[in-house]
Amino acid sequence: MSQSIAAHSSAAVVEETGIPTNKLGMWLFLASEVMFFAGLITAYVVLRFSHPAWPGPEGHLNKWLGSANTFILLGSSWTIVMALADFQADRQRSGRLYLLWTILLGSAFLVIKGFEYRMKLEHGIVPSTNIFWSCYYTLTGFHGLHVLGGIITNLWLLVRSLRGRLGPSQAYRAELAGLYWHFVDIVWLFLFPMLYLF
Amino acid sequence: MANTVHAATRQYLWIWGWLAGLMLLSIGVSELPLAPHLIAWIILGFSTAKAALVALYYMHLKQDRKLLSFVAVFPLLVIVLAVLLVASSRLVKL
Repeated sequence: MSQSIAAHSSAAVVEETGIPTNKLGMWLFLASEVMFFAGLITAYVVLRFSHPAWPGPEGHLNKWLGSANTFILLGSSWTIVMALADFQADRQRSGRLYLLWTILLGSAFLVIKGFEYRMKLEHGIVPSTNIFWSCYYTLTGFHGLHVLGGIITNLWLLVRSLRGRLGPSQAYRAELAGLYWHFVDIVWLFLFPMLYLF
Repeated sequence: MANTVHAATRQYLWIWGWLAGLMLLSIGVSELPLAPHLIAWIILGFSTAKAALVALYYMHLKQDRKLLSFVAVFPLLVIVLAVLLVASSRLVKL
């Protein structure tokens, strides 16, 4: 791909680095988020290898629900990158549709996660049950909060677009929201196998 | 311009296809009668490939300035260093 349709659309000033300030700021924020999740994941790995019986006698997670959620998040990554392409080309109606799909898919992810939580809680499996479930609730809880944050941001973008305030000069907002959403997707790409497949 | 947009759109769809395929492969590998450590390494390899595809194409690192790639990769290097330190520590039983 020689030319990106997602080339810098930012109205931000910059330019010593050649990168719009808001975009560089978002990447630095994501770098700090990487450190946050890496801390949690590294703790999980250390605990995982320190315990021969894992996850314990309380049972495993439902691999198929986890897989469904992974496909949902992967789908939402595609819809948000399509939304960005549309907003940059000032195709507002199509952009809004893709953004709405992203919000719906993110919400579906949270609904399924809530369903999983309910199943476990009904069986008396809580964070204090054992170290695996403690890790599970911590990792998926923080990730779920990030998904919720992404949904709220996308809703805000949708409202801006409906009010006619997300034209090509403002499309950088969609780009920043997209970067965050993709990051949340990437975190799940590692959480899913570690919690559900190993 | 229209061709460029069309090509990018098609590419996004291709990348999604790869992501979904690698995802299915991960699930398939988890069912194979292999040593758990081997399964873990294979699946983590797939996850890394998927993360790279998302970062390069959906987050546009492939065509962005290299500085952004550095910002993205630097924390990962720190993490690898931290994990190696933990793994080599006598205080942690792995």
